Amino acid sequence: MKKLKKKLKINFSNLKKISIPLLSVLIFSCTGDSKLDNGKKTITFWHTHNNVETDTLKEMISEYEKKNPNIIVSLQAVPFSDAENKYKTVAQAKDAPDIFRAEISWTAEFASLGYLMALDMYMTEDYRKDFLKAPLKYNYYDNHYWGVPQVTDCLALLYNKKIFSSANLQVPKTSDELIDTGKKLTDESKNKYAFFYRGDPYWFLPFLWSFGGGMVSDDMKILINNQGSIDALNFMIDLRKKYKIMPETVDFANDYDNQQTGFKSGKYAMIVNGPWSTADVLSGDEFKDPNNLGITRIPAGKSGFASPVGGHNYVIASNTKYLQESWDLINYLSKPENQAKFALKNNLLPTRISSYEIPSVKNNHLITDFKFVLEAATNRPVLPEGGALFVDMKQPYQSALIQEKTPKDSLDEIAVAWKKLLIDRIGKD
Amino acid sequence: MKTKWFTPYLFILPSITAMVILVYVPLFMGVGYSFTNISQKNSNKIEYKIPYKETNGEIKFKIEEKPSTFAFVGLDNYKTTLTTPTFWQVLGQTFVWTFFNVIFHFSIGLGLALLINKPLFGRDAYRMMLMIPWAVPTYISAFSWRWMFNADYGLFNEILKLVHLPAISWLSDPTWAMFAVVVTNIWLGFPFMMVTLLGGLQNIPIELYEAATVDGASKLQQFRNVTLPLLTPVSLTSTLLGAIWTFNMFNIIYLVTQDNPHTDILATFSFKAFFVRGEYAQASSYSVIILLILSVFSIFYLRVLKKTENLY
Repeated sequence: MKKLKKKLKINFSNLKKISIPLLSVLIFSCTGDSKLDNGKKTITFWHTHNNVETDTLKEMISEYEKKNPNIIVSLQAVPFSDAENKYKTVAQAKDAPDIFRAEISWTAEFASLGYLMALDMYMTEDYRKDFLKAPLKYNYYDNHYWGVPQVTDCLALLYNKKIFSSANLQVPKTSDELIDTGKKLTDESKNKYAFFYRGDPYWFLPFLWSFGGGMVSDDMKILINNQGSIDALNFMIDLRKKYKIMPETVDFANDYDNQQTGFKSGKYAMIVNGPWSTADVLSGDEFKDPNNLGITRIPAGKSGFASPVGGHNYVIASNTKYLQESWDLINYLSKPENQAKFALKNNLLPTRISSYEIPSVKNNHLITDFKFVLEAATNRPVLPEGGALFVDMKQPYQSALIQEKTPKDSLDEIAVAWKKLLIDRIGKD
Repeated sequence: MKTKWFTPYLFILPSITAMVILVYVPLFMGVGYSFTNISQKNSNKIEYKIPYKETNGEIKFKIEEKPSTFAFVGLDNYKTTLTTPTFWQVLGQTFVWTFFNVIFHFSIGLGLALLINKPLFGRDAYRMMLMIPWAVPTYISAFSWRWMFNADYGLFNEILKLVHLPAISWLSDPTWAMFAVVVTNIWLGFPFMMVTLLGGLQNIPIELYEAATVDGASKLQQFRNVTLPLLTPVSLTSTLLGAIWTFNMFNIIYLVTQDNPHTDILATFSFKAFFVRGEYAQASSYSVIILLILSVFSIFYLRVLKKTENLY
C-alpha cells in the first residue's frame, strides 16, 4: 500500500509538471484564430455546388479577387443534404458565413428566422426587371427581398430519342399518350421500361398540378386532398400497378441513382429530372451523342402541363460585417455574362432574361429546351414552411405508392399535418 | 513533493467539467424544454435587419424585433406524444429492432466465440477476419449493404432473379425494410459480442472441464453446466451494453433506409422532430421517454446482474 502511494505521488507530481504546458496549449487553442488581415477583408462564402460547378465558381472568384485586391473570398463547400441544418446552427449563433447559396425553399425560412439581411436597398425595381419572375418570387417574403436568384430549374421529361425513333413513336404529350406509348415501349422480359419516376414528393408536383390538384393556394387553402390531387395520385400508382410501364419494385432510398443509371443504360426510355442532372446523363453510354437526349414538357393531365420552378439564391447573413462587399461580389457573379458562363459550363439555367440573349446560350440546345419547359413552369408555395411541407408529405405519399394506404387516406393525412404546420397562417377554423 | 488532499480532485476537474457541460446541462435543459412549447420559430428573439442608405451614402440599419414567445405548457407534450399512434408504432419498432439485434448479436457472437476458442488451424487468421465488420467504418458497411439491398441493381434481387423469384423492394417495403436494417446491424455488431464472450470463455478455468470430463459429462452437458453459468456475468454485462447501444443506434438506420417510417426507432424519430421539423419541445419529450425506458431497463438488469456476482 505504501509503495503504491509513493508511486502515485510520483505520478501526480509528474503530471503536474506536464499539465501546465498542456493546459496552456488547450487554452491557447480555444481562443480561436485571430487572423492578421493586413487591411484585407475576408468574405466567407458557403455553397452547395458539385465539383465541376465549384471549378467554374473558383475561376470567377479568382478573377474578382484580382480586380479587388483588398478582398479575400474564403470558399467552403457544404454537402447539399446537410447545408440547411448547418446554416441554421451557425446562423443561430450569429456566426453565419457572409454569403450563402441557399435553395429556394430555405430562403423564406431563413428570412423568417431573422438569419438574413434584407436586400431591398440594392434590389430596386430597375435591378429586378432583368430577372425571371418565378425565380425572383422565391426571394420575396414579408414585403422584403432577401436574396438574388442564382440559377433556376424545373422538372422536364428527359427521353432517349433513339428508342422512340426505332419504335417509330412520338414523345407523349398527354397522360393518355404516356400510357399508350408506355405500353408499347415496355418489355419486362428484356428489362426495358417506358418510364420511371421517383418516390420523392417533389417529383409528384408536375402530375399533381396537371390533374387539377395542388399544395397550398396563395390564400392558404389546402388543396392536397381535393379531387384533382386524388386523381393525380391514382394515376401515379396506376402507371406502376395497372399499366406496368415502370418496374414493380420501389426503392425510395436509392431511386435517384437508380433512375439515372437506368436512363443512362437505356433501361428507361423516359424519366423526369431537372437541368442539374444533364451533365450526369450525358456521361452515359446511351448519350455518347448528346443529341440523343430529348428534353420536353412532361405529359399533361386534364389541367395542362405543369412543373415546379426550383433553383438557388445568393443570400447575405444578417450578422455580416461586410454587407457592401458581399453585395458587390454577388452582383459580380450575377452579371449576365457570368451567369451565362456558369450556365454553359454546367448546363444550368440562368435567372436573368438578358443572359438568354447571349448567342452562346441561344445555341445551347440543352438550355433552350429547358427554357421552353421553364416558360410554363410555376412557383411552389413561397412560405417559410415551404420545405417543411415536403417533409410532411413524403411518408404518407410513399405509403400510398406502395399501396399501404389508399390515395385518399394518405392525402387526408398530409392535409391534417399541413393544417397543424400552417396554423399561424390559416388560423383555427 | 507532498500531495495535497485536493490534488486528485484537481485532476478529475477537467473531465467533470466537461461531463457537466456536455452531458448534465443539456440533459436538464432537455427535461426542462419538454414542459414548454419551444420550437425553432419561437426559441429566440428574432431580429430582422433591414439596411437602407442615408442621403450621404452611409448604410444604416432599421431593426424590427420579434420577442421569443415560448411558454410553459405542463404535460401537453407528453399527452400529445402518448396519444399519437405513430409514437406507439415507433416504440414497437424500437423493441423489435433492439430485441432481434441483441438476440442475434449474442447467439452469433457466442457460436463464433466457442468455435474460435478451440485450438484449430489458422485460428488467429479467423479471429482477425471475424473482426473486420467491426473494424470497417460503419458508413462503408452501411452503404455496401444498402447497395446489396438496392431494388433494381442490388445483389439480393439479382440472386432472386437467377432463381426466378419476384424481386423484393427491400428498403421500401414495410416488413422487408426492417429486416434489411436489422440484418445490416447484426453484421456490424456480432464481432463485439464475439470478442467479449471469447474473453469470458478464456477466463473459465480449464480444470473445471477436466473435472467434468472425469465425471463423465458429455460435451453438451459441459456446455450447459460449466460454460453457460460461468459466462453469465460477462453475457449479462455485454447484452446490457448491447441493448442500450442498439436502442439508441442512429447511423445504420439513417444510412441504410434513410427516412422510412417503418424503420424509425425512437432515436431517429426524435432526431427528425428536432432537426428536420424544429419541434424542440416535442423532441425533448421523446428523449425524456427514451431516458426513462432505458433507466428502468438498466435498473432491472443490474439487479439481475448483482445476483450473479457471487458465482465465482
